[in-house]
Amino acid sequence: MSTATQEPKTKSPGMWGALRQIPADIWSSVFRNPLPSNDLERSSTSFTNFFLHIHPVKVHKNTLRPIYTLGLGLMSLFLFLILVVTGILLMFYYVPSTTQAYDRMLDLRGTVAFGIFLRNMHRWSAHGMVAMVFLHMCRVFLTGAYKKPREFNWVIGVVLLLVTLFLSFTGYLLPWDQLAFWAITVGTAIAGYAPFVGKQMQFVLLGDTTVGQEALLRFYVLHVAVLPVVLVLLIAIHFWRIRKDGGLSRPEAAPGPLVKVRMELQKKVYGLQGFVRGPFTKIGNVPDESVYSWPNLLMAELLVLVLTVSAILVVSLLFNAPLEQPVNVMHPPNPAKAPWYFLGLQEMVSYSAFWGGIGVPTIFVLLLLAAPYIDRSPKGVGKWFARERLLANTIFLTLAVVNVIFIIIGTFFRGPNWTFVSPF
Amino acid sequence: MRLALAIASFVVLIVHGVVFYNQFFHRWEQHQTAYFEQARSLSKNDAERAELEARSPRVEQTIVTSFGDTHVDRCTTCHMAADDPRFAGHAEPLKAHPYSAAMGDVQRNGRWERRHKFSDFGCTVCHGGQGRGLENVYSHGEDEFWPEPMLGYVTQATWRKDFTPHLKGKEYMEANCAQCHTAEDFAGTPHVNRGRKLFYAMNCYGCHKIDGMSEGTLGPDLTEVGHKFKIDYLWESIVEPRANLATSFMPKFNLNDADVESLVIFLKSRRGVNFAETTLDRYKAHIANVAVVIPPGTAGEKAGEQLIADRACTACHKLRDKDGGIAPDLSYEGLIRDNAWMMDHFKNPRSRVPDSIMPTFRFPEEDFTRISSYLQTLKAPPPPAATAAAAYKELCERCHGEKGDGNGKVAWYIDPSPRDFTKAGFMNSKPRDRFVASIQNGVGGTSMPPWKNVLKDEQINGVLTYVLTTFTKEPQREVKPHKVPQQNPVASNKESIARGEGIFLERCTGCHGRKADGKGPNSLDILPHPRNLRNSWFVDTVPDNRLFDSILYGVQGTAMPSWIDYGLTQENVGDLVNFIRSINPKTARSQYARN
Repeated sequence: MSTATQEPKTKSPGMWGALRQIPADIWSSVFRNPLPSNDLERSSTSFTNFFLHIHPVKVHKNTLRPIYTLGLGLMSLFLFLILVVTGILLMFYYVPSTTQAYDRMLDLRGTVAFGIFLRNMHRWSAHGMVAMVFLHMCRVFLTGAYKKPREFNWVIGVVLLLVTLFLSFTGYLLPWDQLAFWAITVGTAIAGYAPFVGKQMQFVLLGDTTVGQEALLRFYVLHVAVLPVVLVLLIAIHFWRIRKDGGLSRPEAAPGPLVKVRMELQKKVYGLQGFVRGPFTKIGNVPDESVYSWPNLLMAELLVLVLTVSAILVVSLLFNAPLEQPVNVMHPPNPAKAPWYFLGLQEMVSYSAFWGGIGVPTIFVLLLLAAPYIDRSPKGVGKWFARERLLANTIFLTLAVVNVIFIIIGTFFRGPNWTFVSPF
Repeated sequence: MRLALAIASFVVLIVHGVVFYNQFFHRWEQHQTAYFEQARSLSKNDAERAELEARSPRVEQTIVTSFGDTHVDRCTTCHMAADDPRFAGHAEPLKAHPYSAAMGDVQRNGRWERRHKFSDFGCTVCHGGQGRGLENVYSHGEDEFWPEPMLGYVTQATWRKDFTPHLKGKEYMEANCAQCHTAEDFAGTPHVNRGRKLFYAMNCYGCHKIDGMSEGTLGPDLTEVGHKFKIDYLWESIVEPRANLATSFMPKFNLNDADVESLVIFLKSRRGVNFAETTLDRYKAHIANVAVVIPPGTAGEKAGEQLIADRACTACHKLRDKDGGIAPDLSYEGLIRDNAWMMDHFKNPRSRVPDSIMPTFRFPEEDFTRISSYLQTLKAPPPPAATAAAAYKELCERCHGEKGDGNGKVAWYIDPSPRDFTKAGFMNSKPRDRFVASIQNGVGGTSMPPWKNVLKDEQINGVLTYVLTTFTKEPQREVKPHKVPQQNPVASNKESIARGEGIFLERCTGCHGRKADGKGPNSLDILPHPRNLRNSWFVDTVPDNRLFDSILYGVQGTAMPSWIDYGLTQENVGDLVNFIRSINPKTARSQYARN
């Protein structure tokens, strides 16, 4: 293909030759670079391709250490992509109407080609994405990656977690079965405990005092239009900032000779790179620990993608997404449980409605948002469980584990009337 | 990494293969292909054969709009031969649906014609199941979440194993027949009819409401019970009332399986609004069935005895060796209550015992007279007990409990609760005369009956001594005479009553409630529960001096404090007493209006 880009100068190709040249011309017009065989071409490939130029030309070796990132952020992204694709396909069959939604679910399960498989993929990817985003947050915290200059990206990440939860929550209602109806009834009731605005918030969310047609329509619009757009925008900013902050966090390199970029020298002309903060402006001054994105980073990403897809496919093949009986407003299940990721809240609500449902979660979220501004020490970045970060990690792990324990209790150990039962 | 990539890609490939295989090789396609082949070999003319040759498998469906919500029935996708009489002898799923004259099918020119055409009725209207499903587990309703499994054919895996054998049989489909065929004696639904009769005969209607058919409020409303619950739940609720609700006080009726089955089928047919039955139809059933089952010419007492048996009175009450374990013993009723009390009580139990939970049964007046005249014959006193302990066991223990702690087997259902004899504070602070009087004359407005016709005076004394020594244990204290007036010194007039009401609202409502019915916000935590001060039968038997004593000096062994410590004067208490008397007027005793 590399020959395709070279202009034939020596002889006129003739009619037949020109025709033969057409596919290659088209190819080269789409892909500006041949398959790279040297470093210049590797750089150029990343740089000139719309989908690849989100990557830097070179990445630090630390970024590629599987043990450092565990690929959790990427997995979240890929799950989101699966969700978008399957979600759009499901939208062709779904009607957000209380009289039709459940029947559509039955048709998806029974007659629509690949219907049940699409639904399974969408369901399990949604659960997986909630889990992966949470684990990704844990990874970032435990490696101290939220520290300067990445404070605000951490904040965006926390907002992304909240939006993910809300997306999953709004999707939970759509099958319009007992599971959905009562989970949303419980979930929105928790929102109703908020002081001053709780009831109003609940009303705006439901469009009514109870879960009904209005709520279904609102949740549908939020789920398929509003929240995905918000999420895509936030993801874009999240990724963009990773680039602008000099790639993923990593341990500080051994101190080398530093060269200050002296702005006061008027005579010097700066390229755009002069404004980029972080170690990459110091190329040439520090030992080069970076490798080319093509193929190193791309292969890693491809592996994560294929692993994620295959995991979701296998799970979707083995387990069907639940579909309980049609909504019966008069016959609540006992106990009525919120979606699993809110069961920690519901468990806390069973002790105190306000503190469990609003107080503690709000404090928790505020703590998360404020974490990079409270913890200002620059030490311990880029290392799992750094010794310097013992206190912060302990606090974070305790809160995270307590939440997980509450979720486990709420999911498996709570029976009728929210009494303690043993699942064994 | 490349190996991992290869393996993961291979997994993706395999899963795609499996998914595509599942998508394009359905069971129902095999059934259809088999049908086409067999039908070809059975067909007698070439045109039909050619037509069958040309057909390829596809999803067949009937859309039924005439019966409530739209049904989409895809059953014939597998059951291709349902309407093909040549397949009468084949095995499912390629079996023709039987024709039956009883179902209204008719034979014209040697060909059967269905009364219930599949194109009009679909399948699920009669059979239940999930019409949209194309796999057995879903379409037949084996999926545990499907609320309407095929009636009588399918039992779900989560159902109780000991019930499932009872829950199969095509008679269960009558519940669906009855959605249209609502006539009470419709020949096609014998089980529904029998269940409806049992619903009245077993007195279910006394506690349960079915819109238009009954007004009971004690148990759950059954108007939509067939819509809400599956037949296993209905069966379980009848044979083991406490299986689903530990606090249920529905009695075990110990019906035979056939009766339970009929009741379940009848209840399954209760879906609120159905396709044909009107409120008027239900009311007719109500009128017809509450009427009686007594052969004409039966004497009053004999008829009463039969009524007590037929109406399942002993499902709650005790009568000799039959004991429902919920309501008082009727064995000595002739010695305890007179005819007037009984008739009042039948017509409205709360007119005599204001907190009774007994339902108001709307029997005809003459039935009440018959039952009453039978109960009046129960005048034989119990054989004289050898010891006071034996007498206590025979007569008192059912309410007051084996340990005398007021926690007998029926105590839970009785309000006010039976006295707890182990509370020495109470037992020791009251004069012996009062206990004797309570036993002799009963306690008005409560379930404590007068025992004076059943027990002789010395027996009563013996039982009282037994109670005080066995349960109270502590010796009787010297009761210090309190300074209370014999008569209320404050004259009853509007001002006094208004003052009394003011004090009551300020001081007493926390326990006795704003309506003075003893159901204030604190009452649930208090044992014995606070008195219902609107219980006229009780309040009227309490003289002024006892009211003064109870209010001013409190009631020991209960939560009633001594109000003299909180600054109430004799005049205040006089106003309170006037207020309490004013809400229990002696004239115009229309207790029906109360509660």
